[in-house]
Formats: sequence, structure tokens, C-alpha cells
Amino acid sequence: MSKTAARQRANARRIVEQQKAADRRRRVTLWTTVAVVLVLVIAGLVGWSQFSNQQSDTAAKLVTPSVAVDQGTAFKVGTGPVQVDLYEDFQCPICNEFEHSTGATVAQLVSQHKITVFYHPVSILDRESNGTEYSTRSAGAAAAAAEGGKFIEYHNALYQNQPAEGSDGLTNAQLIDLGKTVGLGTAFANAVNNKTYDAWAAKATDTFSARGYNGTPTILVAGKVVQGPNQTLPTTAVFTQAVTQAGA
Amino acid sequence: METRQSARVTAAWPWISTVARIGLAAVFLVAGGLKVTDLAGSGRAVNAYRLMDFDTARVIGAIQPFVEIAIGLLLLVGIAVRLSAIIGAIVMVIYIAGIASVWARGLQIDCGCFSKGGSLAAGQNTQYGSDILRDVGFLVLASIVLIKPRTRFSLDGALLGER
Repeated sequence: MSKTAARQRANARRIVEQQKAADRRRRVTLWTTVAVVLVLVIAGLVGWSQFSNQQSDTAAKLVTPSVAVDQGTAFKVGTGPVQVDLYEDFQCPICNEFEHSTGATVAQLVSQHKITVFYHPVSILDRESNGTEYSTRSAGAAAAAAEGGKFIEYHNALYQNQPAEGSDGLTNAQLIDLGKTVGLGTAFANAVNNKTYDAWAAKATDTFSARGYNGTPTILVAGKVVQGPNQTLPTTAVFTQAVTQAGA
Repeated sequence: METRQSARVTAAWPWISTVARIGLAAVFLVAGGLKVTDLAGSGRAVNAYRLMDFDTARVIGAIQPFVEIAIGLLLLVGIAVRLSAIIGAIVMVIYIAGIASVWARGLQIDCGCFSKGGSLAAGQNTQYGSDILRDVGFLVLASIVLIKPRTRFSLDGALLGER
């Protein structure tokens, strides 16, 4: 056998091997691409099904307090001509700040029949309570208190006993004890223990988002958002001025 | 001398790409993992960008964490590395564009990149510049991988019989 023939055979073998390798690469590329697309589609479907499960879960469990107004999202306090809307999360420190600084003024304007306050409890800070979902539980408890005719009393008690952001929040037992201090009884306790209004809190929060709000507190006077400079919390003076301008 | 140096660089690329790939995988896994336990919150975070109506935003917000985790896992095992990196890069470009648009419109939100996002509490400062800078960093990681997709410890390598 000549040397040339051997070289030719070696060359041919190399070309065949190269083609085999190229084939393999093509096949691997094709199937891994298919796999990647499949994985992403499946991930999307999992997300979608989780979402629709939660939606139907909320819808199935939804109990709207009979006293709730404004698409069932708010509790009305006062009879004055100027409408004030307060979207608050009971775990939100800035909401508490507003209650401390301006709560007394709000109460006074209510008692002078100048404003009607629509309190909208929302639960956007559930992640800040170590998985106990304090925002939802406290909003649900507030709805139960409203059903028992003690919304504003319980609302104020919740802010006076606000747990730190990032803590477990108050336990259900503590929420019930707090209810007792403002005169709420067994029906309230059952509603808290059975999470009767938790789905309602989720729904109210969705309505809040759908209206284009995404932070608490969101304060509206006569339908207009009231803020301090640079989108900060309005001072009592800024708030009162907005009420005066609105005609109270 | 120079050829030896460039040979050394060539030999280093798979390792550089491997680090970039694993790093990017970690970014996506953490980002998705933080959001996956609160899908409603994730939806609200998307809604805060005000780029779509709330119903669309909440669907996107629910799907997003799962897709992020999926991208993270794909990069971690190293399957179709170039394609996975391209997808990761596209996602980063979308995020950067989203933050830039919020910045341009003067909205005050938490970008939601590694949190549930949403509006900032009063007095808190937005950090759009550093948020964008960080996402650009992740985009660089993705670019390294998609330009040099040959990496160590990848499923691609195993399937191709490389070692």
C-alpha cells in the first residue's frame, strides 16, 4: 500500500468525523433550543395557572361587609360635604405618622360635619410580616369591626398598637383582644379566626391598584391626591388647606 | 510571546464565561425567588410602572417570577447557553427600558427588581440611576455568555462530548 493512499484514507476518515461532529452539534442545538422554549412556556403556564387559581380562590371566598361603600372597598365616617379618601395599610409606618400628625384634625373635621371620610384598608405590605400576612389580617379584622359598627374605634386602636414593619405583627388573638377594648364581641372574634374578610382585603387592594394607586397612605380630598412637596406626606396644614379649598 | 498570551486568553474564555453564566443564573433565581411567594405584590409592582392596564400588569406580574426562575435554571444547567443568554439579555434590556421610562416620567417607585416594588413611601428616595447601572452590569454578564457561549460544567458541553 502506498503512502499516498494511506494519507487519502486518513483524510477521508477525518472529513467523515468532522461531518459527524457537525451533525451532532446541529442535533444538540436543535433539541436544546426546543427544550429551552418548552421550559419557558411551561414556566409561563405555571405562573398563569397560579394566578387564575388565586383569582378564583379570592372570588369564591369573597364576603363583602354589608356596610362597605364605594364598590365595597371603603367604610364611611362622617356626613360632611367634602369627600376625603384614605387608602391605608395598617402595617404602614407612614400611615401611622399621618394618623399621629393629622388624625385629630380629621376627627375634628368629621365632628364639625365638614368632611366625610372614606377609609379604604388595603394590604400591600404582607411581605413585611414574616409570612403572617399581617396587612391582610388587620384589614380583614377592620372589615369585621365595621360590620360590628366600630370601624373608626378599631382603626384607631390598630394604629395605636401598630407592630413594627418586618415583625410578625399582632396575632389573631391580639387582634381579637384589641376588638374587646372597643366593644367588639363574639361575631368579631369569629370573623377574625375564620378569616372571613381576608379575600375582601385582597379584592379591595386590587381595586386600589386598578385605580392607579400604588403606595400608602394615598390621601384624596374631593377626588384629588393631596401630597406634600416632592410627593411626601402632606402636613396637617396642607391637608386642611385642601379641605378648605374644596369648600368645607 | 504574543501568541502564547493570546492562547492563554483563549483558554481562559470558557472559565470567564462559566463565571458569568453562573452569576447571571443566580441573579435570575434570586430575582424570581423573591417575587414568587407574593404574586399579587409582583402584579402591583408591574402596575406601578404604569405601562399597561392593571389586568395585564397582574398577569405579567404573576408570570414574571416563574419565567425568571426558569431562565435562572436554564443558565445554571447550561442548556442552549447562547440562546438562554440572549433571552436573559432581552429581559435585562426590557427592565432597563422600564426603569428609564419611569425615571423619564418622574414617577416615584421602587423598581421592584429585587423586591415587590411599588410606590415608595414618602420621603424615600428613588435610585433609578443605580438600578439601571446594576441591570447594565447584568446585561454585560449576559453579553459575555452570548458572545463566548462555550462554558465549563454545562449540559451543552456534556451533550457535545466536550470535556
